[in-house]
Amino acid sequence: MANIFWSNIFRRGDSELQTITQLWQDTPLFKDIPKRHSAALCATMHLRDFKAGESIFNQGDQGAGAILVLDGEVRVSAEKTQLALLKNGDFFGEIALAAPERRTADATAVNVCRLVYFLKQDLEEWIEHEPRLGSLFLMNLSATLAQRLYEANKLIAKQT
Amino acid sequence: MSWQQSPHIRTFKLFSLVVAICLASFYFISSVLIPVVIAFTFYALIQPAVFYLVRHNINHSLSVLIVLVLMTITSVLMIAFALPAFLEQVGLLQDKLPQIVGKLEQFLTVYGEKLSTRIGADIDVSTVSLSILSKSSSLGRAALINVSNGLFNFIIVFILVPFLTYYLLKDFKRARNEMMNWLPNSSYELGWLIYHNVSSKLQAYTRGVMLQSLIMASFCSIGFLLIGLDIPFLMGAITGLFNLVPYIGPVISIVLSLLVGAAMTPFDPSILYLGVLVIISAQIFDNVVVIPAVVAHAVNLHPVQAIFGIIIFGSLFGTIGIILAMPAIAAGKIVFNNIYADMANASLKAAPQAAEEG
Repeated sequence: MANIFWSNIFRRGDSELQTITQLWQDTPLFKDIPKRHSAALCATMHLRDFKAGESIFNQGDQGAGAILVLDGEVRVSAEKTQLALLKNGDFFGEIALAAPERRTADATAVNVCRLVYFLKQDLEEWIEHEPRLGSLFLMNLSATLAQRLYEANKLIAKQT
Repeated sequence: MSWQQSPHIRTFKLFSLVVAICLASFYFISSVLIPVVIAFTFYALIQPAVFYLVRHNINHSLSVLIVLVLMTITSVLMIAFALPAFLEQVGLLQDKLPQIVGKLEQFLTVYGEKLSTRIGADIDVSTVSLSILSKSSSLGRAALINVSNGLFNFIIVFILVPFLTYYLLKDFKRARNEMMNWLPNSSYELGWLIYHNVSSKLQAYTRGVMLQSLIMASFCSIGFLLIGLDIPFLMGAITGLFNLVPYIGPVISIVLSLLVGAAMTPFDPSILYLGVLVIISAQIFDNVVVIPAVVAHAVNLHPVQAIFGIIIFGSLFGTIGIILAMPAIAAGKIVFNNIYADMANASLKAAPQAAEEG
């Protein structure tokens, strides 16, 4: 018989895990990664709740990983200029998965938010377990970062 | 910005709080500190084997069980084969202790007299040294008797350690995640970064230092056996164990091997030089080959930091404190540096805002 006490304390609800897995699957980071393996990775992620107006991180902070918006809205800004308004299913802060760089913008909860933290250390451990899928994930991450760089360059060119 | 808002002061306050919590936790578990430390050491050593099995599609709990059963069988076999020989060597050392103490007393009396005539002062070194020796020899005998007779503690540790290790391997991550959830949102990422840096360094250090100790013990045992020193395997094991304590440990090993060599009958002075040569060769091999290969930069501490740390931790937690000093200071440095980096960034952000508001 399953140990009800321990399983209830620690196990995340299956439906929530399915939602999180589905949301990450829809992002370019998880392109071509089978759902079964994505679910195993998503089970290691961490949920946090934020109040309206609460800071998620500030420009210059050390980043521990990427963040997915599960519920609510997040404003990403730099020098008081809004760069993006992120909603359910959007992700941000993925640079921290690739390099130990500091956060390049501020992120603030617009309203009550539920966020999913995908930490670099969990990714590294998963890559150790699943090296083939891990290299596919890293390719996806490179493509995403390249796309963000391309968009940033386009924006700078437009402004100058 | 007031001095209280300075990142240095804020870092110092927060770091002091972290240190106080850690010391209080250590004090709280001090009665079971040894089994807990051994269980965490096994956790660090065994985890790669569990990962290996999980990678080959074996369920995590089953992997933990397989690795632990294998480890227990290996330990039982090793104890069954090695323990009688080891106890025999401990008994030999116990028999030799009066001779060792006698030689040391003789040495101190002769050199004490020479020293007092050279400096011209009337110092009765022999009386002082004899009182110290009588205390240390009784302590030494008591320690050896404890090693031989402390079966009860050994059984407690022997039962508790596999039990703790099993639950660490099985549930540590869940418990850790629950504890990290207690962090406020503003420190959540910083907390994980610090945890990741500290745990990866400590795991690398533990694996490296255990391997280093094993290599040193084997090197010295073979060396002592070749030069014909008494109780070579026990002395090799002691040298390997003392190697866990940097700077001070090797010196103690040299003194011990000299004492065992001096107590040998018939006495051969060349055994003393050869004993020192074995330990110095082992130290050179350790510093040139073993440390760069297996310990690397897991803990990169200045010798002064290390020695002060060993003294402070030794006075606080005894023998286990001496062994834990190096990883604890290395962890403390990481925590301090990460908190300071965060505080410095926060004050950098706050300065222009304060200027605008002003």
